Amino acid sequence: MAINTDANHQIFSSYLKKEGLFDEVFDTNGKVKSIYTKLFDLYGEHSVEDYVHLNGKAKASFFNQGITFQVYGEKEAKEKIFPFDLFPRIIDATEWETIETGSIQRSKALNCFLWDVYHDKKIIKDKVVPLELLSSSSNYLHQMVGVDPPNGIYNHVSGIDIIKHSDGKYYVLEDNIRCPSGVSYVICNRTALKRALFGVFNHYQAHTVTNYAENLLKVLESVKPHGVDIPTCVVITPGMFNSAYYEHSYLAKAMGVELVEGRDLFVENDFVYMKTINGPKKVDVIYRRIDDLFMDPMEFNPNSTLGLPGLFAAYKKGNVCIANALGTGVADDKAIYTYMPEIIKYYLGEDPILSNVHTYHCSRPDELNYVLENVDKLVVKPVDEAGGYGISIGNKLTKKEIEVVKKQVKENPRKYVAQPILSLSVHPTYIEQKDSFEQRHIDLRTFTLLGKDKEFVLKGGLTRVALQEGNLIVNSSQGGGSKDTWVLKK
Amino acid sequence: MSLEYTVTYSAKNTYENSVFKAFWQFCIIPEDNGTQQLVHWNFENSLNVFNGLSINGLGFKVIRVHPEVSFKTISFKAKFKVIKQEINPFNFEVDQDIAKGYKSILEIAFKTEHEPFLRKTRFTKLPLKNTSLFSFDKTKSIFDNLIELNTWTFEYIDFKAGVTDVDTTLDTIILKKNGVCQDFSHLFCAIARENHVPTRYVSGYLHQGNGYFGDSQMHAWVEAFVPDVGWIGFDPTNNLLVNENHLKVAHGKDYSDCPPIKGVVYSNGWNETEHSVEVQASQQQ
Repeated sequence: MAINTDANHQIFSSYLKKEGLFDEVFDTNGKVKSIYTKLFDLYGEHSVEDYVHLNGKAKASFFNQGITFQVYGEKEAKEKIFPFDLFPRIIDATEWETIETGSIQRSKALNCFLWDVYHDKKIIKDKVVPLELLSSSSNYLHQMVGVDPPNGIYNHVSGIDIIKHSDGKYYVLEDNIRCPSGVSYVICNRTALKRALFGVFNHYQAHTVTNYAENLLKVLESVKPHGVDIPTCVVITPGMFNSAYYEHSYLAKAMGVELVEGRDLFVENDFVYMKTINGPKKVDVIYRRIDDLFMDPMEFNPNSTLGLPGLFAAYKKGNVCIANALGTGVADDKAIYTYMPEIIKYYLGEDPILSNVHTYHCSRPDELNYVLENVDKLVVKPVDEAGGYGISIGNKLTKKEIEVVKKQVKENPRKYVAQPILSLSVHPTYIEQKDSFEQRHIDLRTFTLLGKDKEFVLKGGLTRVALQEGNLIVNSSQGGGSKDTWVLKK
Repeated sequence: MSLEYTVTYSAKNTYENSVFKAFWQFCIIPEDNGTQQLVHWNFENSLNVFNGLSINGLGFKVIRVHPEVSFKTISFKAKFKVIKQEINPFNFEVDQDIAKGYKSILEIAFKTEHEPFLRKTRFTKLPLKNTSLFSFDKTKSIFDNLIELNTWTFEYIDFKAGVTDVDTTLDTIILKKNGVCQDFSHLFCAIARENHVPTRYVSGYLHQGNGYFGDSQMHAWVEAFVPDVGWIGFDPTNNLLVNENHLKVAHGKDYSDCPPIKGVVYSNGWNETEHSVEVQASQQQ
C-alpha cells in the first residue's frame, strides 16, 4: 500500500510514501520531521516550473565546473555530468557525532591492523583473524613486510560507506582505504546548491565542507619523511582517462600542489624528483590515485606505464611518503570487513561505535551452504571489486541468474561474501523524467583523514542516490546521483 | 678451503624501432651470506649510461639502467667474483622425533611466519586433479621426504630447453613432463607447499663444471624450511643438495619475484633478447 503525504506544497503533492521504507524526511504518519520543516517550507514556495528552472541552473553549474565522470564498460566511453539532486540531506549534530567518532575509530583500527599484518601479525597468531584471509589475499604485498611508513600511517584517507537501515540505525557497508573517490563531489554539490538556492543556507547552521583540501594538505605534510622541513607534496593521477580525473585535478588545485603523472617524475639514487622548468625538484609526499600494482613497474606489474619505475625503493628507504600506503587493500577486502568488530576490540579495546551488517563468508563451509540455498534473499558481493561491480541482489534476480551466481560462488567461495538485503533509507529525490519528487534509496560516504597527531572527518560526506526506482546500488559508476549533505552545528 | 668463482653475465637487447626511453632492473648480483662472499663486481652497458644500485622490495640488491638517449641495441655485461666455502650439505642434525616435526609445521605461528612461502601462486599451484602427485610419507622425517621429492621431481621431468618458457604453469609441465630448472623448481615448491613445508624459489648461478644440468643462463633451485634446522637448498634439476657450485642471487615465492631482468621500454615493433652466463672456478688457499 502506498500512502500520500499531507504535503500541501505543489512540488511534493504527488510524493508517494511506501510503507516499510525508512523515509528520512517524513515520519510514519506522513508528517515532515522537525529538522526538515523549514527546508520543506522553503522548497514548497517554489512552483514546479521554478524547480525545473533551478534544476537546470544546478546542472549548468556542474557543467561549468567541469564535473564529469566516466562509466567503464559501456560501449561508448562517454563523459557524463554527475547527476545532482537539489533537495539536500540533513544530519543533526548528535547523529553526526556517532558517525564521526565511529569513522575515526574504524580508521584507527584499520591502521593498527595494517601495521600488524605487515609486522608481527599478532592478530593472526592470536587466532582473531584467520591466516587464510591473509594468505589468499592478492592485495597483501610481501614487499611491504617490515616497511615502516612515515609516522606509522597507512590509511591517510578512508572512505567509509554508511547506510541508515529501516530500524533507524547506522550501519557500515564497507571501508574503502585504497583510493576512495567522491570528495570533490561533496564540495561541488555545495557550490551548485548555493548557486541555485543561496537563500536556504540562511535558515540552517550547516558546517562548511570546503575545508577538506586544507586538512588533507595538513595530513600529507604531517607524514613528511624524516629530515624534511617543508615538504613538497604532489597528487599523482593515472591521467585524464581515469573516471576520477576531475577529482584528482580538483584536489591538487585546491591544495595548491602539482598534479602529476608518472612521466613527470623520476627517481635517482632512491629519491623522487619532479621535472620542472627550473630543473628537478625533490618530492617528499605523494598523494596517489593509482592502484598499488601500477605504481612501480620495477616492483609490481611490469607492464604498467602509469607509475614511476623505482618509486618503491625510494619509499622503502623512507625518502618519500606515499598516501595511502601501498598494500592497504588487504584491509578493505570485504572478507576482512566481517572481522571489523573483533579488529576494533583487539587493537583499541573498545566496542565498535558503528555496527557492521551481518555478513556470511562463503569460505566457511556452513555459511557457504546457507548462501547457496538463499541467494534470492541475499546480496552477494565479490570481496575485491570496487564501484558496485559484480554485486547481485537476490530479490532482483531471475531463476537463471540465481543459478549463475551459485555457480560463481561455488567455484570460488573465497571471492564472495553475502549480506541480508538491507533496506537503505530513502530520501525525496527530484526525478527529471516525471517532474516530481519520489522516494529513492541513499547511502553516505564519509571521508576520514589520519595524519601524525591529527584526525579529521569531513563534516558532510557524499550522499549517493540510486536514481532508478527500487534500486539499491548507489555507485556513480552504476548510474547513481548525489545530494548535498548538511551536517548541522550543535 | 674455499673456492673463487668468476661469473660473467651478458645480455643484448635488439629493437626493430628506435627506443627513446627505457628502464631496466637487473637482479643478478650474488648475495652476501654465510657461505658466499661477493668480493668484486662491475657492470657496464654499451651506451655508457649511468647504472644505479638499489634494493628491491624483497630486500635484494638490484642494478638499474635508465637510458634517455635513442638506440636500437644495447648490451650489458656484468662480472662478479665470489668466494664460496666448501659445503657439506649434510652438515646438520635432523631431530629424531619425526612426529614433532609434522606437528610444528601445522602450528599457527609457524604458518603465519612462513606465509609467503606456503602460498599457492600462479606458478606454484598444482592443478586440482594433481594435488596428490607426491605425498609425504609420515613415517619418515620431513627432510627425508624432501630428499625423495627432489629425486622424484628429477625423474618426473625430462630436462629439455625450449619446450617451456617463463610463463609456463604447472598444468603444462605436468602434461608435457619436459622443462628447465625453473619448471623443476616450481614443481618441487608446489608439492612441498601442498604438504605444508615452506619453500623458496631461488635464482642464482650454477658452476656446471661437473656436468650438471642447466644451460648457459641463470639457474634456479629451491630452499625448503626444515623445522629445527632452517632453510636447506635442493636442486631438483640435478637431484642434489645445494653445494658450493650454487651461487645464490635472490629468492621469492616463485620466478616472478626474482627474474634476472625487468624492464619498461618505450618502443614498438619486435625485440630480441639474448643472454648468457659463464661461471669459472679456481681453488683458493
